[in-house]
Amino acid sequence: MRIIYADNNATTAVAPEVREAMAPFFGEVYFNPSSMYEPARRAAAAVDGSRRSIARHLGADPSEILFTSCATESNNTAILGVAKANPGRRHIVTTAVEHPAVLQVCRELQRGGHRVTFLPVDGDGNLDLRAFIRALDKDTALVTVMHANNETGVVFPVDRLARLTKETDPAIVFHTDATQTVGKLAIDLGKDFRHVDLLSFSGHKLHAPKGIGALFIRKGTPCRPLLIGGHQESGRRAGTENVPYIAGLAAALDLAMEHRAADEARIGAMRDRLEKGLLARIPSVQVNGGDAPRLPNTLNASFHFIEGEGMLYQLSEHGICASSGSACTSGSLEPSHVLQALKVPFTAVHGSIRFSLSRYNTDSDIDRILEVFPGIVANLRRLSPYWDSKNDRPRPEAESLVQPSTEAK
Amino acid sequence: MAWQYSEKTKQIFMDAVHGKPGTHLGEIENPDGFGEHGSISCGDALRFTFRVEKHPSDPLQDRIVEAKYLTFGCTSAIAASEALCVLIERGRFTPVTALKVRNKDIVDFLGGLPEQKIHCSVMGAEALEAAVFNWAQKRGVDLAKLGVDIHANDQQEGRIVCQCFSLSEPYIRRKIKELNLRTIPEITNAIKAGGACASCHYAPGGLQDLLNEAWGGGQGAAVLEGASRSPLAGEGGASGAPRPPEVEVAGFIVGLSPYQFSKKVEKVVDDYIRPMLRKDGGDIEILDIKENLVYCRLAGACKGCAHSGSTLRMMVEGTLKDRVHESVRVIEA
Repeated sequence: MRIIYADNNATTAVAPEVREAMAPFFGEVYFNPSSMYEPARRAAAAVDGSRRSIARHLGADPSEILFTSCATESNNTAILGVAKANPGRRHIVTTAVEHPAVLQVCRELQRGGHRVTFLPVDGDGNLDLRAFIRALDKDTALVTVMHANNETGVVFPVDRLARLTKETDPAIVFHTDATQTVGKLAIDLGKDFRHVDLLSFSGHKLHAPKGIGALFIRKGTPCRPLLIGGHQESGRRAGTENVPYIAGLAAALDLAMEHRAADEARIGAMRDRLEKGLLARIPSVQVNGGDAPRLPNTLNASFHFIEGEGMLYQLSEHGICASSGSACTSGSLEPSHVLQALKVPFTAVHGSIRFSLSRYNTDSDIDRILEVFPGIVANLRRLSPYWDSKNDRPRPEAESLVQPSTEAK
Repeated sequence: MAWQYSEKTKQIFMDAVHGKPGTHLGEIENPDGFGEHGSISCGDALRFTFRVEKHPSDPLQDRIVEAKYLTFGCTSAIAASEALCVLIERGRFTPVTALKVRNKDIVDFLGGLPEQKIHCSVMGAEALEAAVFNWAQKRGVDLAKLGVDIHANDQQEGRIVCQCFSLSEPYIRRKIKELNLRTIPEITNAIKAGGACASCHYAPGGLQDLLNEAWGGGQGAAVLEGASRSPLAGEGGASGAPRPPEVEVAGFIVGLSPYQFSKKVEKVVDDYIRPMLRKDGGDIEILDIKENLVYCRLAGACKGCAHSGSTLRMMVEGTLKDRVHESVRVIEA
């Protein structure tokens, strides 16, 4: 059966060009880049070249790029590193919809005595600028706000938020988790993103393998290392450089930047067709974050009165891979904190499905999803105690269950 | 997370969603027994109905001949509902003997369930109990007199321990004993209690206390877990964040309190700046005033105008510096 992969915000397929770029470093060029002998210089050159190339794509200086093992490590380094470097300030500003790799780190600092402001979002997933400004105070050490949300694709105006932060108080450090946007949206750390001090991303969201990430640290930013015990990365991240993966990350970003303009339009058109097609074919659907600025590849929709896992299971029977914010797929019993923050009714959170596309998706993938998905929804609605299958509409007593809730919970 | 379902569970689910003949999807009209368990906001809900062949003189000899369900829930919730109906019909039980079907029978029928999914089978057993209770009411059978202990309605009573799933103390107590639950994860897997925000785990009168009461031991040795409720509920929440005390900022601008300062800024904006902008069809919006920082954005015709940056800096900031205080800084929001 042909696999239709529409879960690219979770991870992506490794591009053949990336595999090729990595291959020499699994073979003859196995040397430690720190070694002195001649053959090791090829390994060191690969690391340096990759760093230069990544820096150029992002408008940064090569010395400002730090290689890590993943975006989670980059986020941990950024947040804990800034907190450690700035003991005189004990307040952090973040949002309620961050990835756990930011949210949990902030909670950890909170347990240690930091004050943390978790900014709410509105029903579309947008931040309130007034609340953001209000949150900044004399004790604020760090602002950490993601660039685009992994679940809904909603994009925050990071350039503007960073500028507001710096104009309020240049001593506040601004970090953004750009895991979902590097290679997908325009980011220039020398221009519109010039007020951003720290930026995290990883390779496996842009067709490099899992196990490689990076952190941009603007020159002069106070940030202490997380991993210590070696001189690598100018002492900011100890551990022997992961040469093949670093080469893979650079190759993946090269490819992404080369194709970005064309990809963005084509992927956006596929997503829009999928969204319109599903809304036209299926009653009682809501698009989550649909009215906010959004990544072109992401569609998050709630299919009312049914549960996400049963949809995913049937999709997988057709070889279609997607994900859900439902509690049953989360590993805990708590459904998506992101959709809850958007005040999506609990019931609709359980029925949410996320499709996230990449440049490897085709129009025939969209055709296939549109062909099978209405049937999958109808199958489950026939079983649902809240659905009137005879008239293909919700039972009257159930309709109030999917009105937007007035509180987050 | 990919759940590991048995082949049988997957097959039953697929048969059910495709409405294969012999499956039990639906709702019996005017049922003899009607029971519900769960709610849509908890992530799963089951409506279970059955029909009996009525005995002419003795309701206790009624036989269940048909059972149906409607379920909102995941793959295993739907498979467990189907399993319940098969077991009930196959046994040709009377309603009272049907109570012998427990959640463990459902799990066995399905060829096992992942631990985290045990609650799906418990939901089936609970809905069955509720339906039998309903049948007894309709047929005038006094279950208590028969020594049948039915708790179908104890969910509505008593102190709520798990707020996330609205589970009461008597219900959790009963389930701890009935299902021999020994740890908090076991409770969560079986009945979902404590599975979301986790704040009831070690709270006074929470799950650990109920476990200690049921099985003895663990005298208050519970380690308190950190603040892990909703991100907005913790200390330092968005609006609850204590602002720096006024004394810290008072005196920043000699002779003006922060309140007087913002009032003065607003007055200058209203009296001088806004009228000037309006002449060109523009307007200004003040988002916040923080000490000497005035956050604002231009609106109306000014919005998107190429000169808006310099208008703010020159005209707005200049006017405020002249008329309020030299230290004023305007920030475009």
